[in-house]
Amino acid sequence: MIQLSGWKRWLLAIVVLHGIVACAGFFAPYDPTEQDREHPYLPPMRIHLVDTQGHFHFRPFFYAEQLRVGSFDQFEEHSQQAIPLRFFVTGARYDLLGLLPFRTHLFGAEASRVYLLGSDAYGRDQLSRILYGGQISLLAGMLGAGLTLLIGVLIGATAGYLGGWRDGLLMRVAELFMALPWLYLLFALRAFLPLSVSPVQAFFLIILVIGAVGWARPARLVRGVVLSARERDFVRAARGFGATDSYLLRRHILPETSSVILTQAAILVPQFVLAEMTLSFLGLGVPEPVPSWGSLLASLQQYSVLVSYWWMYLPALAIVPFFLGYLGLASALQQDAGTEKIVRTAGGSRW
Amino acid sequence: MDRLLIVEKIEKRYGRAHVLGAKQEVTALLDVSFSIGRGSTLALVGESGSGKSTLALCIACLERPTSGKIVFNRNEITVLDEKQLREVRPQIQLVFQDPARSLNPRFSALELVSEPLLVQGRLDKREREARARALLGQVGIPQEKALQRAEEFSGGQRQRLAIARALSLEPKLLILDEALSALDCSVQAQIANLLMELQGRLGLTYLFITHDFAMAGHLAHEIAVMEQGRVVEIGAADEVLGTPNQEVTRRLIAAMPRLTAEAHAPRAV
Ligand SMILES: Nc1ncnc2c1ncn2[C@@H]1O[C@H](COP(=O)(O)OP(=O)(O)OP(=O)(O)O)[C@@H](O)[C@H]1O
Ligand SMILES: [Mg+2]
Repeated sequence: MIQLSGWKRWLLAIVVLHGIVACAGFFAPYDPTEQDREHPYLPPMRIHLVDTQGHFHFRPFFYAEQLRVGSFDQFEEHSQQAIPLRFFVTGARYDLLGLLPFRTHLFGAEASRVYLLGSDAYGRDQLSRILYGGQISLLAGMLGAGLTLLIGVLIGATAGYLGGWRDGLLMRVAELFMALPWLYLLFALRAFLPLSVSPVQAFFLIILVIGAVGWARPARLVRGVVLSARERDFVRAARGFGATDSYLLRRHILPETSSVILTQAAILVPQFVLAEMTLSFLGLGVPEPVPSWGSLLASLQQYSVLVSYWWMYLPALAIVPFFLGYLGLASALQQDAGTEKIVRTAGGSRW
Repeated sequence: MDRLLIVEKIEKRYGRAHVLGAKQEVTALLDVSFSIGRGSTLALVGESGSGKSTLALCIACLERPTSGKIVFNRNEITVLDEKQLREVRPQIQLVFQDPARSLNPRFSALELVSEPLLVQGRLDKREREARARALLGQVGIPQEKALQRAEEFSGGQRQRLAIARALSLEPKLLILDEALSALDCSVQAQIANLLMELQGRLGLTYLFITHDFAMAGHLAHEIAVMEQGRVVEIGAADEVLGTPNQEVTRRLIAAMPRLTAEAHAPRAV
C-alpha cells in the first residue's frame, strides 16, 4: 500500500468523487433527458437476490413495475417478470469526458428500464440526472472559485503591496461587497435580462455572479499575507539587489500566499456548488432540460412533490460527500501550513 | 583620501500609530555624520538598540532617512526616486543581521547566490551557476550542499551564504551587519581573510557593524561608536582603542575578552 499523508488522502478522495461525476455517461445507465411516460414518479426500485419462491440468485434482479389499477402514481411489482441486472451493457451513446464516443454503461437491464433512485415527473432516471447534474454544478463551483480567487489575489496583492490609501480604498470596497444583500441584487440583475436565456449563457452568468460576489474574503486574506511578506528581510534583500516590484511579487511574495489560496480554494468550491444549487433552485440558474443539482431540486417547489415523492430530495444529498471531502482537504492543508511554519521558525534544527 | 560614502546629519524616526490614535515615535538615528574613504574599512560599534542596523538600512537605500543627506560615490542618494534607487542599490550591498530571515527558505543555496546576478540580468544561466558555485567554494560551503534549501543550513552556513550573495554583485560598498558574529573562530578568520583579500584586489569598501571591539580592531582602519542613535566617537582604530574618550567606548572595550584583545593588534591606517 502506498502511504498517503494528510491532505493527499483527501485530495485523492475528491479526485475519485469528481472522476465519477466526470464519467457520468458510464456510471449513469441512461441519458438524463430520455423520458419514460409509463413510469412518472416511480420510487427507487428494490433490487433482489431472492425470488418469491425463496430461490437465491447470484445475479441481482428487479421486478418490472406497473401502475396500480385506478392510480396515477402508485406502482406495483410484477412478480412474474424478474429482470436481471446486467453489467457493462451497451446502451445510449455518450461522449466520455466530452471527447470519446462510447456506448458502454456500468449497468443496465434489457426488458425494462431500471430506476435505482426513482424517476421524475417525465420518467427520467434520477440517478442519471444526479450524475449529469453534478457535472454542471461542480464545474460552476470550480470555475466560480477559480474566478473568485483570481480577482481576490489580484486585488488583495495590489492592496497589500501598494499599501497606503489605495489599500484603504480597496479594503473598503471589499467590505461593501461583503455587506451587500446579494440575493436580491441578483433578482434585480435577472430582471434586466431576457426572460429565457440559453443554458450556456445562464451557466456563465452564474459563474460571473458567484465570482463577483466571493472575492472579498480571499482578497482580505491575501492582502494580510502580502502586507507582512512585503516587510520580510528576504524581500528587502532582493530589493537590495535591484529587483523590480514584479520580480519581488512573483518570486518572493506571491509564493507566500500559496497555502492561503489552496485552503481558500478548498473552502470555496463546495460553497459555490451550494450557491449554484440555491440560484438554480430559485430559477436563476441553468434551465430545463439540462440537469443541475439545483434545478433537480426545483421540482420541490411544488407542494405535491414536496410531500409525496421523497426521492426527489436525493439530489440535495449528492453534495454531502463533496462537502466533506473539500472541508477535510481544507483543514488538512491548514494544519500542514501550520506545521510548516513551526518547522521553519525552528530553523535549521530539522535535521 | 577620496570619500566613497558621506553621511551628513541623518535622522530616522519610526512612527507607530497607537491603538488610541496617539502617534508614538521612536528616534532610531539622531544627527549622524561620518564618512568612509574608498577602499577602507569603518567599524561601527555600539550596544544593542543603538541604531546600527537602522543606519545600515538607510545607507543601503532600503529605508529612507527622515532627514539628512547621504552621498555615495559623489551622488546624493537621499534625493533619488524609487526607479533611480534601483540603479544604485546593487553597488551597496548589505549582509543582513539575521540570515534566517534574509534568505528565502524556499530557495536552494545555488538559487540564493545566483539570485543577485539573475535580478541584474548579468551573465547567462550556465555562467551564473558557475559563478555561484565558485562563490560557495570561497565562503566554504561544500559543493554537494549547493542544492540544499536555505532552511536546511545551520546559522553559520546561512551567514556565509548571505555574504556570498552580497559579494556576487561586486559592490563598491559592502555593509556587514554582525555578519561574522555567528561564525566560529576558524571560519571567522577564513571569511575575514577573504574580505581583506577582496579589498586588496578590488578596492572594496566595508562598513563593518559589530559589538566586538577585538574584531573591529583587527579588521578596521577606523572605528565609530554609537550610542542611542548618535555617533559619539569616531577615529582611527588604534586611537579609539588606545585612548577612548567616551564612557560607552570604555565600557565596550572593558567587556571585550582579554585574550582576543591582545591577539589582534589594531591595524594601521
Ligand atoms: N521598523 C522599526 N519600527 C520601529 N522602531 C524600530 C524599527 N527598527 C528599529 N527600530 C528602533 O530603532 C532602534 C534601533 O534599532 P536597531 O535595530 O538599529 O538597533 P541595533 O543597533 O542594530 O541593535 P542590535 O545590536 O541589537 O542589532 C531601536 O530602539 C528599535 O526599537
Ligand atoms: Mg542590529
